Order: sequence, then structure tokens, then C-alpha cells
Amino acid sequence: MAEHLQPAALPPVKISPKEGFFLGEFDAMASPCELLIETQETHIARSITALAAREATRIEHKFSRYRPDSVVSHINCANGATVEIDEETYRLLNFADTCFSLSNGLFDVTAGVLRKAWRFDGSDNVPEESTVTPLLANIGWQRTQLTENHFTLPPGMEIDLGGIGKEYAVDKVAGSIKARHPGISTVVNFGGDIQVTERRRLDKPWLIGIENPVLASDASTIVKIYQGGLATSGDARRFLLKNGKRYSHILNPFTGYPVENPPRSVTVAADNCTQAGLIATLSMLQGAQAKSFLTSQRVTHWIYD
Amino acid sequence: MQLNHKGSIATALAGATCALLGQSPAHADTDSSVLKDWKFDTAILYYGETDRVSLAESVISATKTNNDDSIFNVKLVLDTLTGASANGAVPQPAVQTFSRPSGKDSYQVAAGETPLDDTFRDTRVQVASSWMQPFAETWRGTAGINVSREYDYMSLGVNGLLEKDLFQRNTTLSAGLSYQFDSIDPVGGKPTPLSSMLIPSDNSDADEDTGQYSKNGSDNKTTMDLLFGVTQVINRRMLMQFNYGLSVVDGYTTDPYKVLSVIDANGVTQDIIYENRPDTRTRHSFFWQTKYALDSGVADVSYRFATDDWDINSHTIDSRLRFNLSDRSYIQPHFRYYQQSAADFYQPFVNQSAPLPMYASADYRVGEMTAYTVGLKYGRELDNGHEWAVRAEYYQQDPKNAGFDQPGVLADLDLYPSVKAVILQFNYHF
Amino acid sequence: MKRKALYVSVLIALSQLGGCASLGVQPWERDLLAKDEMELGAEGIDLGLDDHIYFSKEATSGGRSFAGGGCGCN
Repeated sequence: MAEHLQPAALPPVKISPKEGFFLGEFDAMASPCELLIETQETHIARSITALAAREATRIEHKFSRYRPDSVVSHINCANGATVEIDEETYRLLNFADTCFSLSNGLFDVTAGVLRKAWRFDGSDNVPEESTVTPLLANIGWQRTQLTENHFTLPPGMEIDLGGIGKEYAVDKVAGSIKARHPGISTVVNFGGDIQVTERRRLDKPWLIGIENPVLASDASTIVKIYQGGLATSGDARRFLLKNGKRYSHILNPFTGYPVENPPRSVTVAADNCTQAGLIATLSMLQGAQAKSFLTSQRVTHWIYD
Repeated sequence: MQLNHKGSIATALAGATCALLGQSPAHADTDSSVLKDWKFDTAILYYGETDRVSLAESVISATKTNNDDSIFNVKLVLDTLTGASANGAVPQPAVQTFSRPSGKDSYQVAAGETPLDDTFRDTRVQVASSWMQPFAETWRGTAGINVSREYDYMSLGVNGLLEKDLFQRNTTLSAGLSYQFDSIDPVGGKPTPLSSMLIPSDNSDADEDTGQYSKNGSDNKTTMDLLFGVTQVINRRMLMQFNYGLSVVDGYTTDPYKVLSVIDANGVTQDIIYENRPDTRTRHSFFWQTKYALDSGVADVSYRFATDDWDINSHTIDSRLRFNLSDRSYIQPHFRYYQQSAADFYQPFVNQSAPLPMYASADYRVGEMTAYTVGLKYGRELDNGHEWAVRAEYYQQDPKNAGFDQPGVLADLDLYPSVKAVILQFNYHF
Repeated sequence: MKRKALYVSVLIALSQLGGCASLGVQPWERDLLAKDEMELGAEGIDLGLDDHIYFSKEATSGGRSFAGGGCGCN
């Protein structure tokens, strides 16, 4: 439960002046986290970076599957028992429920159990069907029960909020900065998931490079962003390769196997980072139809096949 | 397993994320665009006048936006002109013979027809390049050069523009300077002003000396432009621009291929002489433009008034109204109206009995005229982000009589025929 | 009488101008102005081609930008 969580230790933060803004850096959620802060004041930059690090670490500790004291671990270890949940957890699980229905079951936070069979480490280690198929029995969000104060997960099943958590953290951090330091436009960038808190003074855009997995790593596309969020879904390093066939890390929860022929990487722009991230992920789940899906959704996007 | 609710998932997610983040519904003003390494605008245009000139023009423009928001642009224009254009002489009830610009050949014009010189065939190549550099937060400087070359003409130009944003970019002041050097090397040489056009005789061995004596060499002119502008954001939907321009031309402004008829009291042509225009021209122009964002479209209206020391005053109204048919396509009607008064040296012909003026031109383009353009454009964005558009327009010029009598045989002839043209254009942006 | 009506309407127009002392928008109100088609020089290729046609067929050029020369067509 949230109130039992240990206060999270803050990661070391670093700030450095750049031309016209400060760069704030720290590590959280297994990603490098960056802030571009439009201020000339060192103390404001430090205060904003510390605020971001505190909020990011709080969310990581609360919802990481890897932390035994997290809310997610508590739910996964309940062995079928109903667990009491707080309001924030309810909102996240309710959002997961919406994504499940919107995607007709393709986006399922209980599909994480497939990790027991699949390890996307760049090797040719494709699991046997006999390993994959039994796991399908433990997938199915529709079998969970969610109310405002309680959540019940059938025994053997697990949830993994990894597909939502980082984008959620980016938006929460951006929201805190905007509330505490209005008027100071800040880019929150957690490993490529990005939110701009508000428009810059003089209405200039922020220029942000998005990684192009096809080209050399230093060749990135530059995106001009005034306001809103950006998120990328891709398998730049997470895939398997066997007999010339590429296995993407995007798994279909109905078959237990990777989606066929998804793009290598999709970047989406939307009002906020969470929305952008979900649209990017849902498009990857469409496999070869990712492009037409994105087009039909009328969102600004960049695809690399 | 297909997600078939077209367009609705993004919308549903927008609502769901608002609930998740505890925010009021997000305003859909995400505004991001790619700075691809290069963007290309290409177009081909056909311009065709009934029985007269036709022009085929192609443009390719490449733009690179750099990481510091500076912009480099290079543009290549190629065009080919063929066909006939009015040489300035009046029609006659009898067949007329004119010398070709080379002086070595002649052409005939039927009775009652407006004399057209059908010799025109020219290819023009133009290269223009510019660099825009933002600096000190609210300033932008642009420098450009251009070169253009055709068979008898060469032009070189440099220009600079300085812009300053004020009041949170709601006001932009600009000041620009352009200098253009043009040199013309007319086919067959530059004619002596107001000298007679000699008709080469059928006896070709007499041509070499006699046909050339009134024509020699080349000439040039310079054009200096100053431009001052204010752009003002009025409100969330409206934007306004006002420009003042001063343009000073110095040098050879005469069209070496244009002539005037010298007529007697009966309106019968006695001689054909080359035109002559003043060697300076100073023009002031006032330009106002407004753009208004409609719920699904844009209204764009501009008005220009120009006045110069040749006594040409002109009014131009140009309007484009864009209607978005969907998120990815639009139609845009275009209407333009133009009206000019005649230059003080314009006259449709020269009276044999009157003293020869110092400057004279019968070119209808410096005479009194009205013109209008109506057109329609349709544009569409493709799935890959490329865009194409087609445009079809009709342009008609109606030269007017600025109060000149038409004596004798001219009374029944049309000295001010309308010029009708169609414009077809295809654009592709990628 | 007519002149007086004009005078009154000019006065009204002027007072309205004075009334909206705050011309312009805040940065977050630029959603519509930020559209490509709202740029003053949108459709620059079309404007360039038009300028060339009208430069060679009419006695006035420029206004929007430099009047220039660069063409032997006039």
C-alpha cells in the first residue's frame, strides 16, 4: 500500500547551463532523464530538476514491477485476494482498462507473463510453442475486477504497467513543474518520451531530435515542438533474430507470439505524452497495418520501417 | 482484431488521459512539425494567350531548415516562351509589312489585324538563393542573390532583409534593400530611339548596311528597391501586413522590340518608328494584406496602390478564399482585379503633323487598362505527407482608350483588343 | 450630409481602434495563426509565378516584396 512505501531516495541530479536554457539530468525508470528548462537562473533550474527527480522516483517506486515493495508487486503477489488500492492506482488501472477495450484486447497489461518465455536480447533464442501456449491461460484483463477502492487479480496472473508508466511519469512531472513554476517552459524527456510543459517565451519552438533506428545512431530527425507530447515505440535493441526472421518485442496477447512485420519505430505527437505513447504502441500492435492505422487516427507521426 | 473505429481511438484516448492525469480536457493545440533535411516545392505552369504568347515554366525550390532555425533556400526556374506579341503598331485596312528584330527578314500582317511580332522564342534560366539567420532572440536577417539569363537578357541581383519581432512576436518590423543589374543585348542591336524601322527589301544584298544603321549595341539598367513593412497580429484569427516600397529604375527602360505607327490625317500609316521611354522611373507602392482564419479555411485579401513619375497609377485587389473540404483537401477560389492609368508618354500612334515627342510608346502595357483573373485551386495531402495541387485560372486584359481620337481609317478598327489567357498549374510538395 | 455621415463613421472606427489597446495574442493563442496556410507568404511558389506573369503583362510590380527586375519581358 502507498502509505507503507519507504520514501524514495533521490537520484543524483546535475544541471548545466546551455544557450538560452538549463539542462537538468538524472537517472530514473532505467532511462536517462533530461529536462530543458527555459531560465537563466541556476536556482530555478535546480529546483525544477529536483522536483522532477522526486516525482519520477516516487512513481517508479510505486509502480515498478521490479520493486518488491511496489503497489504492482503487492497486487501480483496477492494470489487471487482482493487488494485495496488508492486513487492514483485506480486511475492508472482504469486507464489500462480503457486501452484494453479500445484495442479490442490487443493492449493488455496482464500480457507481461509472456516474458517468462520471451527474452528479447538480440539473440536467436525463440521459445518453443510448448513454452508459450500454457502462458496464454494467464492472460486476460477481462478476468480482473476493478472498483474505485479494490482490485482483484486471479491467481497466476500478473500485471505490468511498463507500457504506461514512463509516459505517465513524464506527464505527471510536466504537470507538477507547470503548477509550481508557471511561465517557465520545460521539456521533460525520459528516454525519448517527451512532454513540453507550456509554450516558450517569444513563442519559439523547442527542437528535439528523435532517434532513427535505421540510420546511424547520431543521425536523428529534428522535430520542432511548441507544446504537447511526443512518444516513441520501437525495437531498436529489443528483438530476436532467427533464420533471417526478425521477432519484434511487441507480443500479441492472443497468440503469445510477436506481431508480424511491425515498423522498426513509430513516433507520435499528441496533446500529452501518455496519449502519444499509447497511440504509438497501439500502432505497433497493428503490425504491417501500423501505417494505415496512424493515418486513420489523424495524428502527426513518423514511421521507420 | 483490427481497430476499425477510424479516428476515434485518438479522441477516446485524449479523454482517457485527461481522466488519468486529472487535467481538464487538453486543448488540441499540439503543434509540431518535422524539419526534414530538405523540403522541395515543385511546380509546372502553362500560360497561354489566344493567338499570342504561350509560356511553359517549371520551378523547383529546395529549402533546408537548420537546427538553429536558420533557413537556406535555393530555387531554379526554367521557362520557355513562344508565340506572338503585339509590336505596338496600329492595324490598317491593308496588309502591313514589318522587319523582324534581326533586321534580316520581314513578316506581314493581314488587313484589320493587330500587328503581332511572331518572332518570340526565348528560354530563361533563373537561379535564386537565400539564407535567413535568426539572431539575438527577436531578430532575423536574410540575404539573397539571384541570376537570370535569357538569349538577349542577363540579370544579377542582391537583396537583404532585416526583421525585428516586438511585443511577444505580435508585431514584426521589416526593412529591406534590393539592387538589381539588368543588361539587354537586343537581337539585331539596340534601335535608335524614334528612328524608322527599315523594311528589308527583297533584294537581299542591300541588307547588310542599310538594315543595321539605326541599331547598335546593348544597354543596361539598375533597379534599387527599398521596402519597409509592419506585420501585426490583430487577434487569434487575424493577421495584417502593411508595406511601403520605393523603387528607382535607372537606365534603359525601353522595349527594343516595340514600335509606333506614324499616321496621316486619314489614319493611314506612313512610317513605323521605334519607341523610346524615359531613362529613369521612380515608383512608390503601398501594399496591405489581411489574413483571417475561418473555422475551416482562410480568407486572404490584399490591396496595392502604386504611383510613379511616369504617371502610371495602379490599383490591385487580390483575394484568395480557402475552404477545407476535409483535413487533407481544400478548394480555393482566386479573384484578382487590376487597373492602371496610362503613362504620360503613352500614345497609340504618332500623328505625322504633330512634332515628334521626346518619349513615346504604344505598348498597351503602359497604357490605360483593366485586367481581372478568376481561378480555382484544389489541393490535397497524401498519406505520405506529400501534397499536390492543381490550379486553373482565366486572365483577361482589357486595354482602354485613354482619350485618343481615331482618325480616318482607324475609326473602324480595334486599337485596344483584349488579351485573353488561361493559366494551368500543377504543384507537388515533398 | 453625406460627408458628415462619413466623418461620423471614421470617428467610430478610430475610437474602436483606440478601444482595443491590446492588439495581438498570447503565445498559447497562436493555434490558428500557426497553421501553414496562415503564413503571409503561404503558397510562395504560386505567388512567385503570378509575379512573373503580371510583371511581364502589367506596368506595376512588387508591393508584397521587392519589385525587382530580372526579366526581359517588360
